[in-house]
Amino acid sequence: MPRIYDLCARVQNGFRARLQSIAVPDTKMNLAVCNILYREGFVSAVARGNHMAPDATYTPTTTDNIATRRLWLTLKYKDNRPALNSLSVVSKPSKKITFTVNQMKDLAAGRRAKFIKPLAPGEIAILNTNRGVLELEEALKQNVGGEIIARAS
Amino acid sequence: MQSISRAFSKLSVASYSKTLNAAVPCALIRSYATTSNRAPRHRLVDESNAADLSKVDPILDFSDDKPATLDQPKTFPFNRPPEVVLNTVTDNVDTPLDRLEQMRLLKKALVVKRVVNMNGKGKQPSMYALVVVGNGNGLAGYGEGKDEEASRAVRKATNRAIKNMRYFERYDERTLAMDVSHKFHATTIHLRSRPPGFGNRSNHYIHEICRCIGIHDLSGKVMGSRTPMNVIKATFEALQHQKFPEEIAQLRGKKLADVQHTYYGAQ
Repeated sequence: MPRIYDLCARVQNGFRARLQSIAVPDTKMNLAVCNILYREGFVSAVARGNHMAPDATYTPTTTDNIATRRLWLTLKYKDNRPALNSLSVVSKPSKKITFTVNQMKDLAAGRRAKFIKPLAPGEIAILNTNRGVLELEEALKQNVGGEIIARAS
Repeated sequence: MQSISRAFSKLSVASYSKTLNAAVPCALIRSYATTSNRAPRHRLVDESNAADLSKVDPILDFSDDKPATLDQPKTFPFNRPPEVVLNTVTDNVDTPLDRLEQMRLLKKALVVKRVVNMNGKGKQPSMYALVVVGNGNGLAGYGEGKDEEASRAVRKATNRAIKNMRYFERYDERTLAMDVSHKFHATTIHLRSRPPGFGNRSNHYIHEICRCIGIHDLSGKVMGSRTPMNVIKATFEALQHQKFPEEIAQLRGKKLADVQHTYYGAQ
């Protein structure tokens, strides 16, 4: 199954090529990250579909169509400027980065923590926590730490 | 002190008596300046066109009344004063700014160098000038000019700079809204927004440009090539391609709250 950098590359390339919508592999992790991007307003729609187009009507995922299942994201632009400039991974298999709540507070406040650059205004960090894949602010509200998988700006 | 004054009075009395050269009672008449009953200063000055000294002049006179607070008003400039430009011959450039405003702009020739054009006839030298112009309140621009003489090249560059001025938005009228990184040819510029009172701590060309714009708190670093021409052009491009939090919030459909202004009460 593809790791998070596959999604990051596809989304960044799609924005740079000024595409209207892109198809990414349909996995639980990808769906969770795409939901966060949708909630933050980087992407205007998230829909399931096959490799050709999003589903017109609801189609359940079965063993017959699993190979063609995709997640379709509709990208957002304004004045030829993309809503998302960079979606980069933070925690890599070679160097895993897990944050405690205090370290997350530092990041949110503009101080660096654990050699990770602080969040600029308009930047978000996506973490994988015990309570699921959350954005940094949501995780701080729920008082959970976790592994920072990506940052988007 | 009193002995000295007595000695002086003796001296003056002595000289007075010498001039009179007679035994005249030496009562020294000191005449003080008065506003009335005195000899006219000049034959053309009379009561109607003499200066009215009954009112207090705001520049020359100091009022005796005590101020309401001990806080002093901002009497000292918080930027270093601009250099005295000796040759202030400026052309009236066709812009929305009027002549007085154009004369009051901060102008600084940052690059003046000798360039050569190789022809069939040989080397043709000329002077190149890059001038940065600004009003210290958001308006700034740069212009390049080339001519045989350096002063004429600087004039051409200044005129072009005034024509090329544009408005740069700042946060709180003192710094950038967000950190900026921009690459222009071989020059990479990093500009970081800083809290009030930090000052302008960056490359000297970035320093001058920020002074013309009116950015007082900035931290900057130039990576890669530091060619003056390219550093100046890179800085202007970087400031032009800034993203603002308001634009980001509008595009993403988010509500924007300025924490510094709302909660921490920054002015």
